[in-house]
Amino acid sequence: MRKTPVSFFLLLLSVISVQAQIINKTPLSARITGYKMDVRLDTDEKAVSGKMDAWWINKSDDTVPDIRMHLYMNAFRNNQSTYYKEIGASPGPLDSDRGRIEINSFTDSENNDLLPLMQYISPDDGNPEDRTVIRVLLPKPALPGDTIFLTIGFDTKLPSQIRRTGYTNDFYFVAQWFPKFGVYEPAGMRYATVGGWNCHQFHASSEFYSNHSVYDVSINTPAEYVVGSGGQLISETAAEGGRKTRNYRAEDIVDFAWTAWPGYSVFTDKWKHVNITLLLPEEREKQVERQFTAVKNALEYLTENVGPYPWPHLTFVDPPVMGAGAGGMEYTTIFTSQSSFLMPEWIHMPEMVTVHEFGHAYFMGILASNEFEEPWMDEGINSFWEQRIMDHYYGKNSGMINHPLLKIPDVTIGRLGYVRSPNRQAVSNSEYSWNYPHGTYGMMSYNKSAMVFHTLMGIVGEQTINDIFREYYRKWAFRHPSGKDFIQVVNEVVRRNHGDAFGPDMNWFFDQTLYGTGICDYKVAFISNRKQIRPDENTDITITEDPVTDERDSLFTSAAQLERVGEVMLPVEVLVHFTDGSEVLEKWDGKSRFKDFTYSGKREIEWVRIDPEFRIKMDVNYINNSRTIDPDPVPVRRMINKFISLMQFYLSIMLL
Amino acid sequence: MKVVKSIKSGLFRSLKSWKGVLIIWICFLLLVSIYALPLRNMLRSGFGPSMITGRFANGLDVEAFSDLGSTLRSLMSYISAGFLMIFLIGIVVNSFLTGGLFNSLRKEYGNMKFSPSEFFRAGAVNFWSFMIISLIINLMTVFLSAIVVFIPSAVVTASETMSEKSAVYIIAGAVLFALLLLPVFLLVADYSRAWKVCDEKRSCFKALGFGFGETFRKFWQAYLMMLGLVLIQVVFGLIVFSILSSWKPASGGGVFLLFLVSQMLVYIKFHLKAWRYGSVMSLMENNQKPEVQNSVIQDIIFQEPIVQSHVTENPVIRDPEIQDPLVKNGTNLL
Repeated sequence: MRKTPVSFFLLLLSVISVQAQIINKTPLSARITGYKMDVRLDTDEKAVSGKMDAWWINKSDDTVPDIRMHLYMNAFRNNQSTYYKEIGASPGPLDSDRGRIEINSFTDSENNDLLPLMQYISPDDGNPEDRTVIRVLLPKPALPGDTIFLTIGFDTKLPSQIRRTGYTNDFYFVAQWFPKFGVYEPAGMRYATVGGWNCHQFHASSEFYSNHSVYDVSINTPAEYVVGSGGQLISETAAEGGRKTRNYRAEDIVDFAWTAWPGYSVFTDKWKHVNITLLLPEEREKQVERQFTAVKNALEYLTENVGPYPWPHLTFVDPPVMGAGAGGMEYTTIFTSQSSFLMPEWIHMPEMVTVHEFGHAYFMGILASNEFEEPWMDEGINSFWEQRIMDHYYGKNSGMINHPLLKIPDVTIGRLGYVRSPNRQAVSNSEYSWNYPHGTYGMMSYNKSAMVFHTLMGIVGEQTINDIFREYYRKWAFRHPSGKDFIQVVNEVVRRNHGDAFGPDMNWFFDQTLYGTGICDYKVAFISNRKQIRPDENTDITITEDPVTDERDSLFTSAAQLERVGEVMLPVEVLVHFTDGSEVLEKWDGKSRFKDFTYSGKREIEWVRIDPEFRIKMDVNYINNSRTIDPDPVPVRRMINKFISLMQFYLSIMLL
Repeated sequence: MKVVKSIKSGLFRSLKSWKGVLIIWICFLLLVSIYALPLRNMLRSGFGPSMITGRFANGLDVEAFSDLGSTLRSLMSYISAGFLMIFLIGIVVNSFLTGGLFNSLRKEYGNMKFSPSEFFRAGAVNFWSFMIISLIINLMTVFLSAIVVFIPSAVVTASETMSEKSAVYIIAGAVLFALLLLPVFLLVADYSRAWKVCDEKRSCFKALGFGFGETFRKFWQAYLMMLGLVLIQVVFGLIVFSILSSWKPASGGGVFLLFLVSQMLVYIKFHLKAWRYGSVMSLMENNQKPEVQNSVIQDIIFQEPIVQSHVTENPVIRDPEIQDPLVKNGTNLL
């Protein structure tokens, strides 16, 4: 092999330029990997091709013999890829429908040709047809502290059906598009017992896992295209052939995606230090204000309760209908929302998508958990915060729908997704994302997990849950926390705030709720109010009459009989209301199957409520949480009366 | 002027037929109640002695309903199956009752006292014809509306390049066009039935033919009248809907008052419909009066045996002043 010191020098220069501080004053992350790309969008071939200089620093104590990279775009190569096998479909019959990434050249800093040393591997399912992960044996193993420089020439053909990435006509959303390093996990990091690459294949039900990196990307497109990306625009120059080259830079983010479409209108706004750019079709201009409001709400709430948003730039995209498949996805400093030009104000769906996708800048962007292996750490935690933000800013009872006739909080949507799922007990959250059975990935990782955190908040309080996330941010920002790391933070903060009130740690909670398959269901089984019986006059017992005896007839032994129907045991509050208007708030550790609260006195129990504030969101049935001795028939009567009248109207209208 | 006169006359006729409308209201109240009462029992047993129903104070509570679990599933299947069933039964009942109502809206009925037996007799005599007319017009309405809405929607959906705004406008335009078609079908149905009750011997298909002919003979005056009457009903419906949806009584007495008021509004709704029938009946009579000879032409069109007297066959001739000797008190002695 021929060594070329000049090219090495140039490469080093480019790397140094990439490593320089341009956006953030100091590096936010370890910057183990970095990418400098020069690419061209070919609108005829629907392809992006170019050259990439990339590096990986071996910051472990291991000698690493190889590198592993993701070639995600090969998931769209044919119906034999793991992705298409999992969804049981095909990318389409035509070549134009399919997506793929071809590596044309692959050299290291010494100009060694690495192409012959490259092999496709399938670490997850052994599928020989899947080409979404490559392993490249290094000519020389990487010693601790070594930096591996690579120069890769690649052609990425985009798929026609947009599944997060692809094209439709002249709309492009370009994501998962370049060869990308896996994450090298030395022993002790997350769950690794020995050092090794964590580089999973592209799956249908999964997202991603990457190091925080620096990106310097030059994108050449036809001049009429409007381009947006996760980077900050550094320069824009005219190129030959009626084209334009834009140079973007992004620091300390986990992925780089971009979009190009001539039909975008561009709007800008600012929140504190963050310059916000919104790209959307011209006809949705009326949605601009609500979209900016939503993202600024999320910025404010997360900054206040979790930690600062560290980047000075943020771009979000509301893709046109033809590119709807790109909607609702996140790439840290660029994300996609989804609205429509006629979306009524009372439906907060666009705001919800915006808040959710922005939230991923924190939960996987800053706190870069492994979405392949622990999807609850990004989708679950992020859904929890999305629901809190929506219900905080758009009304406690109207976070999602706010119509005079119907109000639905966002948290209710999440709760119903879990409690109404017939498969809510099929699996625990300890599975890898693609192993969730019966299509439970979404329900488990989004809905159930969010309810776990709402329930935790119900138990430890809002202040403590905010403290937990602030501490989590402080400890793990720009690192790769695992589930056990998060739970460790919970244990520390809960102990700090509440002492032993919940035991030595909160593992009992997570073992049951997050990693268990049981359900939580508490029930008021019965209310009894028995008159205390005066001893029978014919008995042999001599009764000493006392002034109290006459009152005995009006003395009651009252009991609230409670039941734990589900397997999950959580501490709950029980509110007991008496006929004289007095109330008692009881605490129940919720462990025993049955529990009676008994009272003696002149008052009878009128009604009992378990969890009166509905804090235990995991409780699968709120109806049996309360019971009264005098049910109010009015609500049902009112409903039926209205139903009868509306049915009569319906018939009068429909019948000629 | 004819239109205004017909609308006025229709209003008076419908008010005069208040007993007929009352019968219709009672029948539909019974029909819907039979359907709704099991629903009430299901809800009662589903919620049991729970206090979660307190959450309905501010309107529908999705969470409380969804926690009904299997009861909700039963409830939904009962409602969806019942919805179709009640619609089909409604067509049958409506066909019967509108026969009586149309009969009582005839001009010649003006000086007569409302008779329930006559109401039900007319309903029985015209039942099959009215049902066939209803089914045919309903099918035509559904079919044509589907075409009018479906074709543009399919084109819009297939197009990747069309802007969102254009797509929505095209579909909205198609829906609006379909809605504007509805009064035409209502006119056909009402003319057909009006003509049929005036001459019970005619077949329903001839009545339909008459309905179409009459609708398009003086199309705009009839169409605008029908559109106006439909709009009045729509506005009334919206007002009622807003009243019912915003009124949330919290006591038993309040709920009873809600029942009384809502049923009164339903009764008014049936009156508005009777007004529509009466107006069309009146318009038909007004259009026909000076053109008695037209019936001959119609007979030719309908290929009736020429030997039949056009005088007895013409519905308008059944006006009391020139009454057919074979018809007494609106009853055909034949």
